[in-house]
Amino acid sequence: MKTIKLITSFLVLTILLITTGFSQENPTLTDPEVASVAVVANQIDISYAEIAMKKSKNKEILDFAKRMITDHNAVIEQAVTLVTKLSVTPKDNAVSQSLLENAEKTKKTLRKANRKNFDKLYIENEVAYHKAVIAAIKDLLIPESDNAELKGLLETVLPALEAHLGHAEMVQMKLK
Amino acid sequence: MISALLKFFNNGFLIFIFCVGFSQSVLSQKLKTKHLIEIKNMKFVPSELTIHKGDTVVWINHDIFPHDVTELKNKEWTSSTLQQEKSWHKVITKNEDYYCSLHIVMKGRVIVN
Repeated sequence: MKTIKLITSFLVLTILLITTGFSQENPTLTDPEVASVAVVANQIDISYAEIAMKKSKNKEILDFAKRMITDHNAVIEQAVTLVTKLSVTPKDNAVSQSLLENAEKTKKTLRKANRKNFDKLYIENEVAYHKAVIAAIKDLLIPESDNAELKGLLETVLPALEAHLGHAEMVQMKLK
Repeated sequence: MISALLKFFNNGFLIFIFCVGFSQSVLSQKLKTKHLIEIKNMKFVPSELTIHKGDTVVWINHDIFPHDVTELKNKEWTSSTLQQEKSWHKVITKNEDYYCSLHIVMKGRVIVN
């Protein structure tokens, strides 16, 4: 339990540090970089959900994980349609790399967790992850987006992430 | 002759009653209103709607995510999954609390006045 808390706290902290770092050293993320972070952040949550689909037997966890796969894939689909329309190629960057590195650590912890603890670990991570991504979209990605349609897509995604967070918190309460 | 007249008036009266009844029925059907609830930004808009008994409520999903409209307490009725821009309607005869069973934080209420 401590490990996952550390990882999620580290993730939140990393995003905040990167955000601060970017604002001090490099005031702008380009639109291709913003697009990359958006796609990666969605892919990461899908990968967590796929682990849950394999390891959990709890209906509420399985329903939630299934929802994450459907909804985050819908966002990726919209993002791909938009970048294709704008002729933008998502560009790897420090934020997306950091997200992926931390995701690997979290996935390792989730895979190692015994079935008894898995559900709590998974949903705890979902609560922390959605809080971190909501903060990153509000404080980093939306302000850094130049293209109005890219900004609009990110603004459209926010209510969904907030609904996911509310859903995750409800499942977390039931598991306590 | 009298008997024929009585028969005529009797039938006429029945026709009159039928016409009045039919027109009232048509009138009441016409007075039934159709209301629209939009599903957008992970919310039912409006989240609370007051209608008259027997009115029809139409839900339309504008989100990129699939949603449904499901009775809250016992799942007595559901729209099944609505993809983007798909709609579903229901005649409402009593107060109904509902939610999206896919995104359980999304809730709404229809109140019959």
